[in-house]
Amino acid sequence: MQERSNTSGCGTGPRRPSPLSGGREEREAPKAAEGRAASPGPAGHPRHSDHRDASARRPRRRGAAGPRGRPERRRPGAAPASAARATPRPRVLAGPRGARGRREERRGRGRADAACGPRPKVRGRGQGPAGPRRVPRGADRAGPCRAAAALRAALGEGAERRRELERRAARSRALLRRWDDEEEERPQPQSGSSTEHEDRPSPKELEELELLNRALEKALKVRESILKTSLEAQRARGQKWAGEAHAPKKAEEQQVPVPVEDVPEYRKVRTGSKKPLLLKKPSPYQLRAPYRTDPDVKKLQRKVPARCVSQGPRTAGKIFSKAVTSKQGRSHRTATGATAREVCAAAEPQETPGLSESAPNEQQSFYGGDSAAGKNSTVAGKQLLDAGKKSCGFLGESSKKEDTAGARGRSASPGTGTLQEKGCQMKLPVPYRKAYSRNSRAWERCRLCRTSADAAAARTRFMERIQTTFEFCSPKLTPSPAEIEEELRGLQDVPSRLRQYVESEPADPSTLQEEYESLLTLEGLRTTVSQCLQKLQLLREALESQLRLCPDCTGDVGSCSPACVPARGQTCDSADMLAVPLLCYSSLQELRDLFALKLQVSMLHQEIALQKVMMAELLPVLEPRPLLEGSAGLFRAIHSQLCEGGRRFPVLVRDELLD
Amino acid sequence: MRGRQREQPREQREQQRGPALPAAVGALCRALPPSARPAPDTLRRARFDRPQASLDFWKLLYVLLKQIHGDRWTESDAIGAQVRFVKWALWYHGYGRPQLQRLPADGSAGSRELLLAFSWLLHSPGLLEQLLARNRVQTGDETSVCTLFQLLESETTQLEAFLEWKQLEPVYWQWMETVLDDMAEEGNMCESQDARVEKRRLPEVTSCCPWADKLAGQMDRLSRELVALQEQLQQLVTQRRAAWREKVATREELQKERFSATARRTQESTELKLRALTSLCAAQKTRMHGLYRLVLRSKHPASKTALGQRVSKEAVAAVSAAEVIRELQVREASLQRELQQLRQQCRHRLDGIAEGLEGVICISP
Repeated sequence: MQERSNTSGCGTGPRRPSPLSGGREEREAPKAAEGRAASPGPAGHPRHSDHRDASARRPRRRGAAGPRGRPERRRPGAAPASAARATPRPRVLAGPRGARGRREERRGRGRADAACGPRPKVRGRGQGPAGPRRVPRGADRAGPCRAAAALRAALGEGAERRRELERRAARSRALLRRWDDEEEERPQPQSGSSTEHEDRPSPKELEELELLNRALEKALKVRESILKTSLEAQRARGQKWAGEAHAPKKAEEQQVPVPVEDVPEYRKVRTGSKKPLLLKKPSPYQLRAPYRTDPDVKKLQRKVPARCVSQGPRTAGKIFSKAVTSKQGRSHRTATGATAREVCAAAEPQETPGLSESAPNEQQSFYGGDSAAGKNSTVAGKQLLDAGKKSCGFLGESSKKEDTAGARGRSASPGTGTLQEKGCQMKLPVPYRKAYSRNSRAWERCRLCRTSADAAAARTRFMERIQTTFEFCSPKLTPSPAEIEEELRGLQDVPSRLRQYVESEPADPSTLQEEYESLLTLEGLRTTVSQCLQKLQLLREALESQLRLCPDCTGDVGSCSPACVPARGQTCDSADMLAVPLLCYSSLQELRDLFALKLQVSMLHQEIALQKVMMAELLPVLEPRPLLEGSAGLFRAIHSQLCEGGRRFPVLVRDELLD
Repeated sequence: MRGRQREQPREQREQQRGPALPAAVGALCRALPPSARPAPDTLRRARFDRPQASLDFWKLLYVLLKQIHGDRWTESDAIGAQVRFVKWALWYHGYGRPQLQRLPADGSAGSRELLLAFSWLLHSPGLLEQLLARNRVQTGDETSVCTLFQLLESETTQLEAFLEWKQLEPVYWQWMETVLDDMAEEGNMCESQDARVEKRRLPEVTSCCPWADKLAGQMDRLSRELVALQEQLQQLVTQRRAAWREKVATREELQKERFSATARRTQESTELKLRALTSLCAAQKTRMHGLYRLVLRSKHPASKTALGQRVSKEAVAAVSAAEVIRELQVREASLQRELQQLRQQCRHRLDGIAEGLEGVICISP
């Protein structure tokens, strides 16, 4: 049973049909840290009291639960109903370590929780400093579930955040390693992203495929002789656009003799938080009409594993693996229906020199894996090789690659060596670059564009006219609810800051001057505080007058506030909104400190929220006196949890003298 | 002149506005995010208050406002929920037209009102700009490059439509003014009556939405803290004042001229200090929301000035990591303090309880 109804504190709005119609998705509400417990709807309670009857409960708690109705919206300090429930079994006093005691409590509460119904769904996504401050809606539920839910939510968030971080760290680590190692590891991180490749080809299979490719090349040569004239044209073309990659759309327009370049091959390289540098250069290749529609090629390649060939340079195998894995990485399957877009060349043209060194007769074997669209791959022919060589020269990394390729007998990927070494030389594929530059230029223009004078005038006229029809005609006097919230947000930090100042004032100033200064400062602070109080009072009045017009709403509205709310009066300057804010750092250490602090702050928020919730739930358990005999252990557990954060525990000594 | 215009049917008047209006409306529609893109026709129909456009318009506003609020929505959200949310969100942003709040909850009417609200939103919270900024394609991150192509392209077209819209804005606003004119003509009499009826509706101030609850709670807490602080300061100040007065009375040197100069200087420096403090308090508002792009920048901006104008524009929105770190440290300290306070509270209460424990002595760690 879900008590969703209680969160919709609205007294006048239409109620949910029944408390049973739960299942509404939990949304993270920026709740106040103490997790406001909206009063449970009266419908919900009878069920609770049934459960409560089952175990020994303090009678007076139960009574209080019933008549509590809707009007009581502000949190009453403790939800007594929940307190009764929250009594864990006496077993709890076992734990000598507070932590265990805490766990026991939680478990006990969890059991109580089970009785109260399905757990609330909680969005456990980790967030920035503001995030964990929010105790999720489920925790709002009055009743025993609250603390349990809060704790569970906190755990969930923490686990989620850790998973996310680990994932990212793994990716970054994979990126930062030497890229020759990457081939082996690539399939793993990418296995999540690739759905169509069933297995990662083993090196042997790769070699076999390599052989197959060569066989297919020969077949291609046969075909070439047929299409000789067109090939010459292509050769000419090949020289022209060596190194270029045309937009994918052109593939669709191609006719038989016209070679078209396809979208360049690039690996999916997951970038870290830094700017993307990392993708390979485009490799041009030709698209051959006859092969595009030839399904046999594909099938042949699939049948490869039977043969075991160990010859052939491992480089070729490696190329293939790279190609395959990069195919895996590429999410072409989701591409704009350019089904005609095919991938011919898989391998990096840069490898040509390396290849040609190690195996003079080695043709570049290009093989592209299939993607979901079932695109065929074609095997490159001579032209391709030529084009590849030219583009290779164009790409200009060959010299370096040759060294490493020669030295290690491996072919060079665009970045043998670490990302750090090679990264700055890498460039993104051209279509992406084009789109990106167009996009960023558009952003610049938008940012710099100013509203023309007549537009501004016309707009103001309209605004003024429409504002005269508003309830509150003068926006200055009555800020909008959004503005009220914004102002309030600004005031939130004031007390703590002022308190800092107060505390930093010396208690015993040594010189007269210091004493005088300190006096003046304190007086000034006092004035500031009263100013803030006045402002707060104004805001409160404004809120009340605005609330008179508040539309009927039930709980599903208005839980989140927009991040940026400009004051109503001023025109929103486009430039401010459209500029992406920059965070400048000058060293990695700064970033590290920054994020560590962020984490620390959000954890503290969470701790405080949990502390408040637990205070509300646990303290009332102990308040009624006299306490039963067995509750000494309970007392110790609660004490250690609430006062020491579960780290230390008080010692309870039996007072022997009484006997 | 007005009379003559009224003779012509409205649509004809529309066309007289020239070809710019459809272009403006079209650009506006294209500048909206793809998930919430209306057909220009919807706006047209809304202008004439056609009921068919109402549902679409409610949905449009719903989706747009949900995006602004960073909230989620689904296609299947009921019209009633949509209407409620839109009404609340418009209230939240300060849109005060009572006619809007009176629109039927099933979304069957009111397209013209909604058109007005939409136009108001364009200006007041800067709807377009906010949407563009929020939905900005993250070019630094993990999107697969293919879809990134598409996203980038669609975003670029959005941006270009936005620029176009900026050119054609005046036409749109004039058009909206005609809408207002129409409404003014029609609705004057009956509206005032309704208004009188409505104002009697909710005399009590009990909040009817959780947002208001939350806000009120925050206000309460804040005022409690401020009041506590005020008392503390009051005490301190009276103490110190008394002590100072004594000193002044007893010590001759303080009454001399020399000290008054020092006194003046001290006053000035204190004023400066306090002003810095209050401005710090005020400046906190605009901080640290949303995503930032990380930029490695050396501590010497002089080298960047070669870029000239570019840099000055960039520098506007930049925040340095050191500041953020300081911020966070301050906040961490205050949170620690808060936590300690809470724990202290608990300790007091538990000590009180411990006394009630019979036969047991509790020794705190």
